Amino acid sequence: MTELLRIRDLSVVYKTRRGTAYGVNGVSLDLEENKTLGLAGESGCGKSTLGRAIIRLVPYPGQIASGEISLNIEREILCGGGVIRKGMTNLMELNDEQMRSLRGCEIAYIFQDPMTSLNPMRSIGKHFEELMRAHDPTVKKEAAVERAKEILEGLGISPERVLDYPHQFSGGMRQRVMIGLGLALQPKLLIADEPTTSLDVIVEAQILRQVAELKAKFDLTMILITHNLGVLAQTADSIAIMYAGRIVEVADTGSLFESPQHPYTQALLESVPDVSKPEKRLTWIPGAPPDLTRPIPGCMYNPRCPHVMDICKEVNPQLVPSKTGGLVACHLYDGG
Amino acid sequence: MTGDKIVHGIFFSVGVLRNGVRERSRKALIALAFVMVLAFSLIVALVGFGLNSSSQFGSQVVGGTFLYAIIMMVTYVLQKRRVAAGRAKRSVGRLILVIACVGVSLAVVLLSFLIMPLRPIVLLNAVLIGGLVLTFVLILIYDGHPILKERGTAGLIAEAGLLIVSGIVYMTAVSIWIVPYDPTKLGVGPQLLPPSPGFPLGTTYLGQDLLSRTIAGGTIMLEVAILSVLVCFSIGVPLGLAASFRGGLWDRGVCLLMDSIYAFPGLVLAIAIAAMLGPGVVNLALAIAFVYIPSYFRVVRSQVLTVKELPYVEAAVVMGARNREILLRYILPNILPSAIVLMSINFADAILTAAGLTFVGLGPPVDVPDWGWDLTFGWGYLISGAWWVITYPGLMIVLLALGFTLAGEGLNEVLTPKLKE
Repeated sequence: MTELLRIRDLSVVYKTRRGTAYGVNGVSLDLEENKTLGLAGESGCGKSTLGRAIIRLVPYPGQIASGEISLNIEREILCGGGVIRKGMTNLMELNDEQMRSLRGCEIAYIFQDPMTSLNPMRSIGKHFEELMRAHDPTVKKEAAVERAKEILEGLGISPERVLDYPHQFSGGMRQRVMIGLGLALQPKLLIADEPTTSLDVIVEAQILRQVAELKAKFDLTMILITHNLGVLAQTADSIAIMYAGRIVEVADTGSLFESPQHPYTQALLESVPDVSKPEKRLTWIPGAPPDLTRPIPGCMYNPRCPHVMDICKEVNPQLVPSKTGGLVACHLYDGG
Repeated sequence: MTGDKIVHGIFFSVGVLRNGVRERSRKALIALAFVMVLAFSLIVALVGFGLNSSSQFGSQVVGGTFLYAIIMMVTYVLQKRRVAAGRAKRSVGRLILVIACVGVSLAVVLLSFLIMPLRPIVLLNAVLIGGLVLTFVLILIYDGHPILKERGTAGLIAEAGLLIVSGIVYMTAVSIWIVPYDPTKLGVGPQLLPPSPGFPLGTTYLGQDLLSRTIAGGTIMLEVAILSVLVCFSIGVPLGLAASFRGGLWDRGVCLLMDSIYAFPGLVLAIAIAAMLGPGVVNLALAIAFVYIPSYFRVVRSQVLTVKELPYVEAAVVMGARNREILLRYILPNILPSAIVLMSINFADAILTAAGLTFVGLGPPVDVPDWGWDLTFGWGYLISGAWWVITYPGLMIVLLALGFTLAGEGLNEVLTPKLKE
């Protein structure tokens, strides 16, 4: 298995009037080809920011402060400023024009809101045409429309609907169109930012199954950002749990659900409602995530952690190998 | 009576008419009769004007424009059939159309030099513009009507607006040749004569024939309105797009400039600029255009600021679209409807401002017939009972503004896919 994406010490800061907030704080991550990595955590933990940072589109006023994002590029890409070569490339070193030609072509990104993610003034076919032309101006209109029909058919939308406008599609269909647009140029890496959050469960299941099929068909590597652990249990190969801008645990899906190591992961799994156990009351994690503009010393989770020790309030734990084969950042496990 | 036939209130008759076959045919007959009567009276009026024209060339000019339009129309239909049958490519069809247009126009130019060696430009202008407008009308009815009808009321409103505007443009284009009297000549009849057989709309306080002035008076209005709207649209919209998309210091700077223009009362600023540039149609249009640039800028800017934060623009960025593409394909089409609505209001406003500038003597020269001129100098005679002097030019201005507004509103609805179904 070859490595596709390597992130080292990535930090994203939001410079606000109240101070500098670390949206992503020293995250390191490795992603192998053809794997699906689930990125989970509660709202505001920086999972979307991490996804955005990979395509270098952190929303204003955020910016990538430091770190390295390397992507293994399999084909040479021509762009205005020259050629992007094959092999591991540090995305932080590319200029804007090179980065632009990578987006959509090598890395696709799908947003959570399909209702407004399509241009209401353009037909679906036009969307495909513009996407292809943005990356290769020589593409003919007819060829683009043919490709659009092919992709739509693969996603279960009848091909003659390429001439329709976004408002004539339902939410699930629009999300499928978005996925089709994302995959039109056969990217290697697909980042899906809560792709099914605004859809109902039945459509959600359909879309997830289709994504899984497409993943096999196109040799995709996926990063699935969600707060829905049930979705991750179904689709992800491994899961990274984030808390307050840091990754606290990475493990294979099976071992993470069977024996979660980090106290936060344990609490997170506890708070998932279980239909089969009606006697179990809904639980939650007491307290709230820390204010990112005022980082607390030591482990970010220490005010809410039931196993808190003295060292937790002073030293920030590093990711160390856990006994289930994953990585965990907690002083309970680093021998301290 | 089934549920869908129960229609409330004012739509009752419409609902019933839609259902019965007999009623529908009766409605179609009424419509046909109406169109026939309208067309017949138009033809009678044109023939009458042509025969009674002061220039002696009225019927020839009108006939020329019709001939031009019919030739063009026949070419259009033939090439369209060929293209539809697959015997010619679309580009070939277009080429045929362009060749026909150039050929007929050249013939018109040659003929007008032969027939009227003294004033060929005036003649060929009238025939060319009139012929092109008629061609547009014919194609609109032949080809555009089925499409516009599909879109329901909005399409019909757009069609009505376009027809009104092209009717007035046609009338203005051929006006010099079909008017019964020279519209600028003084004392062709008694002063302030009420409408009577010799002078169907009466005369002005200078003894000019009001019918001639009403027919010919649109030139300045149309030129000023179209020119000024084009100028301020093509400056205000790109400026608003560029500044607000870029943001930052650029945006601040342009905003400041626009606000400082906005701070002046419109007419005062227009007077100042027109006085600086001197009288004349182009200067008048520029002065009016300058005053209206900020309103386009403001509307476009507020829209861009909303649209550029929407997810589909973000999605375009994520898919690797360039800034230029985002601006032209994602933002511009979505803000254009509001700019077009503003344009239709702007037309009416420009006409009124032009009338105001004419009033203070910064308008066109006195010897050009103009509705604004008649309005501003005729209203004083209203007290003495001469209602006709301002009524007819006023009606024409209202009609023109109505045409522009209908066309603008209707096209806005037709061109927005969101409102399609």
